[in-house]
Amino acid sequence: MYSEATRPILSCAAMTCEMDSVSGPLQILQDINFTLAPRRALGIVGESGAGKSMLVKAIMGIAPKGLKTMGRIELEGQDLLALKPRDRARLIGRKVGIVFQNPMTSLNPFVQIGRQIEEAGCIHMGLSKAEARSRAIELLSFVGLPDPEDCYDYYPHQFSGGMKQRIMIAAALICQPDLLIADEATTALDVTVQKEVLDLLQTIQAERQMSMILVSHNLGVVAGRTDEILVLYGGNVVEYGPTAEVFRNPRHRYTEALLSAMPAMDQPAHTRLRTIPGQPPNLANRPAGCPFAPRCPSAQAICHEVMPPMSAGIHPDHRFACHFPLAELPRPAQQEVAHVQ
Amino acid sequence: MTDVGNSPVFKPGPDAKLGEIVRHAMPWSSRLKLPGASPFEMLAAIFLVLLVLIALFVDFIPGLVSPKLPYGDFSALPEWSLNGLLGTDDIGRSIFSRVLYGARTSMMIVAISTTIALVAGLLLGMLAGYYRGIFERAIDLFANALAAMPSTLVVLAFVAVTGPSVVTIIVVLGIFDIGTYARVAKAGVISQSNRDYVLAARAMGATDGRILLKEILPNLIPALTAVMPTLMAGLIITEGSLSFLGYGIPAPAPSWGGMIASSTDLLSRFPILIVGPVLAIVLTVYAFNTIGDYLAQRLNNRERES
Amino acid sequence: MSSDAILEVQNLSVSFTRAGKEMKAVDDVSFTVGAGETLGLVGESGSGKTTIGRALLRLLPSANTTAKGSVRYKGQDLITLPSEDMRRMRDRLQMIFQDPLSSFNPRRNVEDIVAEGLVIQGKPASERKTRVQSALADVGFDIDLVAGRKPHQFSGGQCQRIAIARSLAVEPELIVCDEPVASLDVSVQAQVINLLQDIRENRNLALIFISHDLAVVKNVSDRVAVLYMGRIVEIGTGPQIYTRPAHPYTRTLLEAVPVVDATRKIEPDGKRTVMPSRNRPQGGCAFRSRCPRATDICAQVVPTLQPAPGGQMVACHHPHDEPAPGMAA
Repeated sequence: MYSEATRPILSCAAMTCEMDSVSGPLQILQDINFTLAPRRALGIVGESGAGKSMLVKAIMGIAPKGLKTMGRIELEGQDLLALKPRDRARLIGRKVGIVFQNPMTSLNPFVQIGRQIEEAGCIHMGLSKAEARSRAIELLSFVGLPDPEDCYDYYPHQFSGGMKQRIMIAAALICQPDLLIADEATTALDVTVQKEVLDLLQTIQAERQMSMILVSHNLGVVAGRTDEILVLYGGNVVEYGPTAEVFRNPRHRYTEALLSAMPAMDQPAHTRLRTIPGQPPNLANRPAGCPFAPRCPSAQAICHEVMPPMSAGIHPDHRFACHFPLAELPRPAQQEVAHVQ
Repeated sequence: MTDVGNSPVFKPGPDAKLGEIVRHAMPWSSRLKLPGASPFEMLAAIFLVLLVLIALFVDFIPGLVSPKLPYGDFSALPEWSLNGLLGTDDIGRSIFSRVLYGARTSMMIVAISTTIALVAGLLLGMLAGYYRGIFERAIDLFANALAAMPSTLVVLAFVAVTGPSVVTIIVVLGIFDIGTYARVAKAGVISQSNRDYVLAARAMGATDGRILLKEILPNLIPALTAVMPTLMAGLIITEGSLSFLGYGIPAPAPSWGGMIASSTDLLSRFPILIVGPVLAIVLTVYAFNTIGDYLAQRLNNRERES
Repeated sequence: MSSDAILEVQNLSVSFTRAGKEMKAVDDVSFTVGAGETLGLVGESGSGKTTIGRALLRLLPSANTTAKGSVRYKGQDLITLPSEDMRRMRDRLQMIFQDPLSSFNPRRNVEDIVAEGLVIQGKPASERKTRVQSALADVGFDIDLVAGRKPHQFSGGQCQRIAIARSLAVEPELIVCDEPVASLDVSVQAQVINLLQDIRENRNLALIFISHDLAVVKNVSDRVAVLYMGRIVEIGTGPQIYTRPAHPYTRTLLEAVPVVDATRKIEPDGKRTVMPSRNRPQGGCAFRSRCPRATDICAQVVPTLQPAPGGQMVACHHPHDEPAPGMAA
């Protein structure tokens, strides 16, 4: 179906996640579709409860017990859901590196960081001790730690939060993955450190020719650093398309409302922010139709009843699930800017 | 429906939830407020409620003879009658009656000793946790000193000097639990003091007294109620041991430990006669510990959620 | 903005003693806040912004903490005020916390939470009821619908509104807001920011707005103080700080803010090795270990706040005087 060069690294088709609860099954994610091509970066954004971390967990096969994943998740053409859990874990361990939000809890405080970086390499790649060590030291220097050979023997508490996150990135790279997932990896960091770590992720992605998924609640984190963006709301994909295009001309009313609710750096003080009435949806009583309908000022009767299908505008890759999408804006003259690699 | 022990309602059905069944079968059980309790935990709670009811109302049980006066033959084997249910002891008193009245003795000791320990422990623990410094050091020293003493032996020595009396037993047992309650209260105050709501109360102008009593104290109750049953079980055992050794509740007042002591002579011939008091102690201690575990578990869950 | 200051902070220093070691969390900080004015305190973790907020209201733990300097509220020094007088002062100085839910006693209902300050003041029940009602109405709640409910039944944004109502009920003149929107979703944070703005305007409230988010601070503040390791490195009006930042640290911060800009493709900074430690260097300017402009003098002399070309005050030996690239007014 795909040639080796264009075959997606990762694709999800009609993926749905359900969790059992006292009040019946909860739909955590509904009908998720996306593909991630080699060397591309995908941003997944959403507020709390949108299902973004559950999406990552379902892909990685580390979802909590009781979560049922249906549909298709393909990693380099292999259907992950058809694999035995053990084979799946092995495949993911080889091909995917992941960095979580909290480096404090991801690192074992009693083990030297060098050994923690090596661990996956020894398990999945069958590296010898000496090989693993030299690769770990190489990676420590690669992620910007000064004196990597000394750092190898240090314990996690000897590093700051930003440094720990760099160590986590090094650990995620040990198996030379084709895909790197950063799940809110910079959320707990200070802004200046966040920028450094995001810069590092972006540089590494380019140098190692990996694909990357940046998961964040912060639209600013993925803007300018990803090729495509997936906007989640209430467990549904509401908008999916080229990042620059989605930010230039959001078509879904949630995306647009979210963008204009953010205080911007170019507004004067005391500018009134546009608010979105109400609260993010509760999974236990999700609306039948569009998840955003209860908060949407443009919602009509149909929005409350029928889940809008994904449709595309003139830009074929820019898709959105809205019955009454926002108007298409004319392309600015210097539109190439948005697509320059 | 009212036969608690044999009722099948404690087996959770495939499609009905246990809590609903229990609530349906015994409407009053919802007053126990034990969400998520297992059948064992539910039984333990019901047993303890029953014990308290017996302790309060044993005088009104129709037909029950006095526990202090002989009622039949010496060492009579159990028979199918209210007073003879567990047989009679070496001087012909109804063992069943003595077990029930013994519950009153035990419950009274548990209640008063615990009250003494709880009030004193809370006071000391809250001072230590809130003001820290010298208070904390002094109270830690006190609590550690208490914990280091073998309580039964010390009480034994104490009673040997003063002579056995109910008041002595109650007070001394109470003092020994102060340390534990103080420590739990202190830990609770320290962890609660760092919460924003305490800061918010201070920002509102609340006095230290108000913060301690109205803000922090209500939030200490879960932790204290979780340790309370375990300490109560300890009281039952210590009191039983003391009475068994003859330094506890003075005769002829009925006490479970004393009953075991007085039937040791008969043990070889009529071991059945010891069943009543032994079972009473075992079940009570077991019930207290079961409820303690349940409350501690629930406390853990709640803390994990918040 | 009003010129007569209701709060004057002079040479405030706060140090904690841990295991015999003294650690300076706030170092010689001075600023003023006028009636009806919003001062934004912006900084990263360890900048001392939360400590300043708590020190102003004397909410720091008394053990192992020393606060020096003066915090004058309408001429009265709060640092040296007897604690009983301070307690009576508290209805005029309020605080809003980052995590609203944890700032409520979990065992209270909404009405008791909002009424707490009034109970402490000894207000009669009838007055409490009307003031709680109007405070809740100010934040958009109907007292009849929420009074008896417990805080955990509300979402984060709703809880923060209840927390604001609790502060408003005692009719304060100044509120210290410590990261009031940091724990909220973007779609909800705008509601709370707008609400704070409305209340400030209607009641001529002074706000001290503590945040790590420069965009939020820009939106709410008349004046902004940038903190680094316990010191103010730059202080001035919003436009001064944001369009013509003079301190290299302010520039670093502004450049790091993740902004949504459809036309911008971020080119990552290839310089990869970072300083092993962000601990404060010994002597001189605390930022010098990260500063591209640092020279010998930065290691020797602690820079003090001086007027910068833009009109703000800056503590730097080599301040920038050109407008920041790409920053519109």
